[in-house]
Amino acid sequence: MGLHSAQGIVLRRFNLSEKDKLVTFLTDRYGKIKAVAKSARMAKSRFGAALEPLSVVQLIYFGRENQTLYRLNQAEIDHSFQSLREDPCKIYSAAYFIELTDSLIPEGHPEPQVFRLLKETLETLQNNKFNAILVRLFELRLMAVLGYTPQLTHCLACKKEPEPGWVGFSYNRRGILCQPCTSKLQPGTRFQQGILIYLKKMLTLDLKNSNRLKLPKGMEDEIETVTHRLILSHSGRELKSYPFIKALSGNL
Amino acid sequence: MKRPVPVTDLIEELKRLPGIGQKTAERLSFFIMRGPAERAKKLAQAIRDVQEKIVLCSSCHGITDENPCLICKNPERDSTQICVVEEPHDVYVMENLGEYRGVYHVLMGVISPLDGIGPADLTIEALKERVQQDKVKEVILATNPDMEGESTAVYISKFLKSLNVKVTRIARGLPVGAEIEYADSVTLIKSLEGRTEM
Repeated sequence: MGLHSAQGIVLRRFNLSEKDKLVTFLTDRYGKIKAVAKSARMAKSRFGAALEPLSVVQLIYFGRENQTLYRLNQAEIDHSFQSLREDPCKIYSAAYFIELTDSLIPEGHPEPQVFRLLKETLETLQNNKFNAILVRLFELRLMAVLGYTPQLTHCLACKKEPEPGWVGFSYNRRGILCQPCTSKLQPGTRFQQGILIYLKKMLTLDLKNSNRLKLPKGMEDEIETVTHRLILSHSGRELKSYPFIKALSGNL
Repeated sequence: MKRPVPVTDLIEELKRLPGIGQKTAERLSFFIMRGPAERAKKLAQAIRDVQEKIVLCSSCHGITDENPCLICKNPERDSTQICVVEEPHDVYVMENLGEYRGVYHVLMGVISPLDGIGPADLTIEALKERVQQDKVKEVILATNPDMEGESTAVYISKFLKSLNVKVTRIARGLPVGAEIEYADSVTLIKSLEGRTEM
């Protein structure tokens, strides 16, 4: 039985019995893990608010390495992101971020880059006015750190730079197709090179500066379609929190 | 040797109940089997009645055997004060205190994006209608102090803003008998924010 210590972000928690909770964490050192928190449902539980989703906590848990369920010993809050819970736009976005992360990350594989991305995105969401572009940035960057960066500089088929005008985009092959190659390989969508410029910018932009990125009107919907369908091509299913994000963009 | 079918059926049905495993289901089944027939009949009748006679109150959405429920039609209750709770059983937790004299409104859940539950799945529109019709003076939001409960409370407070009604939130902080030394930072901050003058 080993004792493990790590920083973790609470992704989900379920009631396990009358007293216990089953909590899913994304940790900085061990990737996604699940742990049982004994008596966490009781009013005087030592875990308190530490097991609420979005909380960044210092964990101590034990169990054999690579086992599927650990036992949580201690959880101390580093950041609670409490203010996110008081703004519907922010909490819906944050819920989407953690659900997306939970659905794409397998258990027990160290994912320090994903941990940093999620933490930094939540901090940006907390410190700035809500901006839907952050959701698009997170989708694209999550795909990139998972090793699915879309090819945006050269055509997937002929490896040449695309000519000015529109380009094709394949969701399954994750990249662009130049105009001549779209006749051979069916693209998932077509868009103007302007979109391509913004997509490239989104792959390198510092998350903290996401509010500075202003998309021309009409381009937001197209970029949303591209990033979200890219996610769908990998996850294979629509997430439960996504309709909430869609409803938000309708009201903004 | 296999058990008789009626005993196996009873064990299987009892196992469906929350917190009941194979061993407990077996113990309960043999207890029912060995006890007087009258007790087993009463148990069966009680289960049937819960299914057949219990309905949701058309006003507060709490569980009741007569519609509207006893709390809603009691003239001694203050109908201008509504306590909003998540689930029907929360009504009885509050009622057991014997301190609250207003009426209730059951949301039938909470807003939970991770479970795909939105405001339209709850009884928030019905709450708005009640606030308008019954000239309600205060709405007390008694949802759980967790992520879903907090965001539901925030949503309702914004939703009712235009109705000129006082919206309050139950206090959050240290439970009675707890020690400050072991409290987490969020709970302590909430208890400081919600401090009262003595």
